Amino acid sequence: MAYLVNRLMSVALTLFLISIVTFGITNILPGDVAMMIMGTQSNPEALEGLRQSLGLNDPLLVQYGRWIGGMLSGNWGESLLFNEPIAPLIAQKVLASGLIVVMTMMMALAFAIPLGVWAARHRDRWQDTTSSTVALLGLSMPDFFIGIMLILLFAAGLGWLPSSGFVDPAEDFLGAVRHAFMPSLALALGLMAHLTRMTRSAMMGILNQEFIRVARAKGLPERTVVWGYALPNAIGPVMTVAGLQIGYLFGSIIVIESLFSYTGMGWLTYQALLNRDIPLIQSTIFVIAAVVMLVNLAVDLLYRVIDPRIRLG
Amino acid sequence: MRKFLSAKALIGLALVLTVVAVAILAPFFIAPERATQMVMSARLQPPSLAYPLGTDQLGRDLLARVMLGAQTSLMIAVLAVGMSIVLGLPLGIISGYFGGRIDNVLMRIIDALLSFPALLLALTISAVLGPNLQNTIIAIGIAFTPFLARIVRGEALRVVQMPYVEAARAAGTRDVQMILRHILPNIMPALIVQATISLAFAVLAEAALSFLGLGTQPPMASWGLMIQASRQFLDLAPWTALVPGAALAITILGLNLLGDVLRDVLDPRVR
Amino acid sequence: MLDQTPQQPLVSIENLRVEFDGESGPIVGVKDVSFTVNPGETVCVVGESGSGKSVTSLSLLRLVEFGGGRIVSGRLWFRPGEGEAIDLAQMPAEKMIDLRGDRIGMIFQEPMTALNPVFTIGRQLTDGLRRHRGLPASEADARAIELLREVRLPEPERRLRQYPHELSGGMRQRVVIAMAMACRPQLLIADEPTTALDVTIQAEILGLIKRLKREFGMAVLFITHDMAVVAQLADRVVVMRHGEKVEDGPVERIFADPQADYTKALLASVPKLGEMRGKLAPEPLRIPGAPEPAAQKPASRSETGRAVLSVKGLTTRFPVKGGLLRRVVANVHAVENVSFELGHGETLALVGESGCGKSTTARSILRLVEPTSGDVVMDGQDILGLDAGGLRRARRNMQMVFQDPFASLNPFMRLRKQVAEPILNFDLARGSELDDRIAFLFDRVGLPRDFMRRFPHELSGGQRQRVAIARALSVNPKLIIADEAVSALDVSVQAQVLNLLMELQAEFGLSYLFISHDMAVVERVSHRVGVMYLGRIVEIGSRADIFEDPRHSYTRALLAGVPIADPTKRTLKESIEFKPLPSPVFPVGEARPAPVYEEVAPGHFVLGNE
Repeated sequence: MAYLVNRLMSVALTLFLISIVTFGITNILPGDVAMMIMGTQSNPEALEGLRQSLGLNDPLLVQYGRWIGGMLSGNWGESLLFNEPIAPLIAQKVLASGLIVVMTMMMALAFAIPLGVWAARHRDRWQDTTSSTVALLGLSMPDFFIGIMLILLFAAGLGWLPSSGFVDPAEDFLGAVRHAFMPSLALALGLMAHLTRMTRSAMMGILNQEFIRVARAKGLPERTVVWGYALPNAIGPVMTVAGLQIGYLFGSIIVIESLFSYTGMGWLTYQALLNRDIPLIQSTIFVIAAVVMLVNLAVDLLYRVIDPRIRLG
Repeated sequence: MRKFLSAKALIGLALVLTVVAVAILAPFFIAPERATQMVMSARLQPPSLAYPLGTDQLGRDLLARVMLGAQTSLMIAVLAVGMSIVLGLPLGIISGYFGGRIDNVLMRIIDALLSFPALLLALTISAVLGPNLQNTIIAIGIAFTPFLARIVRGEALRVVQMPYVEAARAAGTRDVQMILRHILPNIMPALIVQATISLAFAVLAEAALSFLGLGTQPPMASWGLMIQASRQFLDLAPWTALVPGAALAITILGLNLLGDVLRDVLDPRVR
Repeated sequence: MLDQTPQQPLVSIENLRVEFDGESGPIVGVKDVSFTVNPGETVCVVGESGSGKSVTSLSLLRLVEFGGGRIVSGRLWFRPGEGEAIDLAQMPAEKMIDLRGDRIGMIFQEPMTALNPVFTIGRQLTDGLRRHRGLPASEADARAIELLREVRLPEPERRLRQYPHELSGGMRQRVVIAMAMACRPQLLIADEPTTALDVTIQAEILGLIKRLKREFGMAVLFITHDMAVVAQLADRVVVMRHGEKVEDGPVERIFADPQADYTKALLASVPKLGEMRGKLAPEPLRIPGAPEPAAQKPASRSETGRAVLSVKGLTTRFPVKGGLLRRVVANVHAVENVSFELGHGETLALVGESGCGKSTTARSILRLVEPTSGDVVMDGQDILGLDAGGLRRARRNMQMVFQDPFASLNPFMRLRKQVAEPILNFDLARGSELDDRIAFLFDRVGLPRDFMRRFPHELSGGQRQRVAIARALSVNPKLIIADEAVSALDVSVQAQVLNLLMELQAEFGLSYLFISHDMAVVERVSHRVGVMYLGRIVEIGSRADIFEDPRHSYTRALLAGVPIADPTKRTLKESIEFKPLPSPVFPVGEARPAPVYEEVAPGHFVLGNE
């Protein structure tokens, strides 16, 4: 319990720091929101009037206070680009991206774990070499390039899948999955490569441990030793890495959603950045950083539930 | 494994050296005009004798552009990673060596920064500063710094606990000498490995930034820009995407291979 | 012990050869080794690191294949039950797993990592039974409880539901033994099963193995580097070196009349507890082939009348953080009110088991950790009151030699520079004077001068430890703190380094604070001895006081646990029961009463209050 409280307080502190970084980055901008709204050629007096009314002349600390107050009270302001309140806009996009993230993780883990275990079990043999080579190749392909190849293959070539767009899973689940499939696959290949390597190295460390020799000395068949004895020990570390990769995924998702015109969080962030929609930039990057941190918190807590050594007490 | 390892080392080294050679020698072999010259009569030409890798939508020679792209890519990656080392190395060493309150404060901030995906951080900084060559380097350099500082800190923490550091302390070694003689050389292997892998990520990040229009700007030759431009003509001229994509993959693969081999050879934790 | 009627051996290893893949061709791990193990017999395979003793035992279970090894030639005859002998070397892998854990059980060195951390003890104890005997869960559990009783683990029912991390090292090793015993094997292979354990726990485990062997009539193949353990346990001994058998024979014959030179040297290198009885001063070990070492001087505190080092009431506590806001919720009382004096040219040994605070005491004196309270006076100077600069200067007089020779030298620095560093730090010599000084140091610790240009990885463990000693000597300290300085070395190397330390003491009048867990080594090197337990000195006195007239119950237990390298003095008790170790963690503000010592003889103090 004490652990949980400590952890939540540390989360609160990190969220506070995240908000400062967010606010800080968007305020090193030459020019300001007023100019962005009215354009660079506008009347200096009108510009100054707008600045006054938006409070842009106040000290940074006051501006930050107003912004964070708004964030905390749910009033996230309006997007300059879409002329819409930001909070509901983001809520809807987060769900769209959630589908991609979940599909990506599932695809990556489904292949990475067996492949990594297989490589570790046949260390230094052709199986290991094959799996390592595949993983290295996967790691080296830029995901947006994989995305383009997929479009060439599945959309342009075979015509099996739509090359762009988003469908709300609440309305048409199958359609949503079909639209999310290619973006997820493009993201999953690199992630899978990474997780394969992690699984391999974690398993290799574990297979060198004394308790594995003990299990063999007990006469347990090799299959049981590898899958039943070693793998449960690797799940924790692999899960932790997968959690950390969520951050990487949220970076790549900006590129991939833009490529597939999949209107999720990444696409929204991209539009905000491209159009310098400052209020929207602030909200999107804050939300992404917060989600990344919370996912890692969740993984950490889950780890503590699974691993008897550090089980929550 | 030895055989595999040495094969890896050879291939990795060969790929990286090729890309570096291309980047350095490109201006000597091909006239720079060839990369910018638009030949309207030769738009979207498939590979041929005149244009070994074909042409793009403006009739520019893809071979020349992909070679100049290597230059852009490597220059940005090296400078950005260099910047992240210059910023992150002192932070990490101070944090790990002195520990205590400084470490607590620094690591809190680093943790908060690490919650931002590096690519998002780079995109945001670049967008805010205004996308151009110089800001792309700054953006990637800053975005990689927290990660590097974290790695260096972890290594410094490990080394500080080694008996040889305690022995040196007992022998009256001062902090500055301790860091220079004992800490720095012993975190070097990990740093070299990390720098190599970071280079691969930086190449990727530059391509992604440029692809999204938030990195280098046309008419500069950049692989990310080339892939972006190819999207409209994908059905007609797939080579316009394949050429820069392959160049990217080769570069990143080479750096990753090299990083792997260096890790196997240098990293004390694996050794 | 052995039947006089000719007996069919249980195990017969014939011309075993095992190879590993190396960078340039195969590396031979074991070449042409043959020996037998009879039913109900204990055979000890003894050798130093790299002797191939572990590889031999792993080959018998065919586990060597999982470590990249290959049985190239030779036969491994094993006689399961009453049947015909079968050759394990030729056995198909899928039949081999039926034998493992059923007819042959094995226990390993590291009890802390020998159990799967994510499964309960119960599951790990029963899966072998379910696999080989097909027992249903309830019967397997009942059998597991029975096994835990056999290995004398208290509260067996509760243990089944516990995870490995909830058990101490000694308890875990008992579980591992129970696991190996599950199917009543005919042969138990034990690969250094007590090396990682403290001496009192080692005595418990050795006693347990001896009792199980007698009760169930199984044979034991015991792998060890420790001649004293061999003397206590073996019926027959196989001595190995560099992958080859040096000699084998009954244990009494090997110890009384060793044939091979190597065995003779090995035996001479082992300090035997009790052989210093009646001697006034420490005495170097006599190693055959090495020059006769010089005699040591008796303790000379009386000569100067003043202690080099005086420690009073030294206390070091480490906070345990936890709860809300990570406050300090408890303290580990690592060192608790420790006082002693160390005279000029004297060796004071601090002995005790892991966690007793002996290393923390050493590090507190140098202020490598900050003590909580107390006084440390070195050569008239109050160490704990010094500022950073003063401390730096004061450390010139006290240097340290660490345990791990592989970690105590900077891997990226040439050896010359490592030895020169302290001299340069204090600006004691420059130019040719510095060169001469370093050359002298290398000569003095017995290292060739061309080693100066080398890096640590080019040296063996013993050579590295010599460099560490040269580094410590370089600033002419008055005191050297040796923290388990010879513990990581093979016995023959250990003897050489011990002799070097004693020579240097005689030559330079050095004082040593010698931190060790090894009672036999301590008896050999020290003038005075302090016994530590749970952060406190429970007994301190001259070497003769402690070893010949121990008064405190803990000192006696410690001495009783030490195996003696003499098969005619078997002290191993089969009935030693499990004793839990009390915790050194106390609530915040817990004040432990100041120790009260009784002077039972001049200079011999025993802790009176617990």
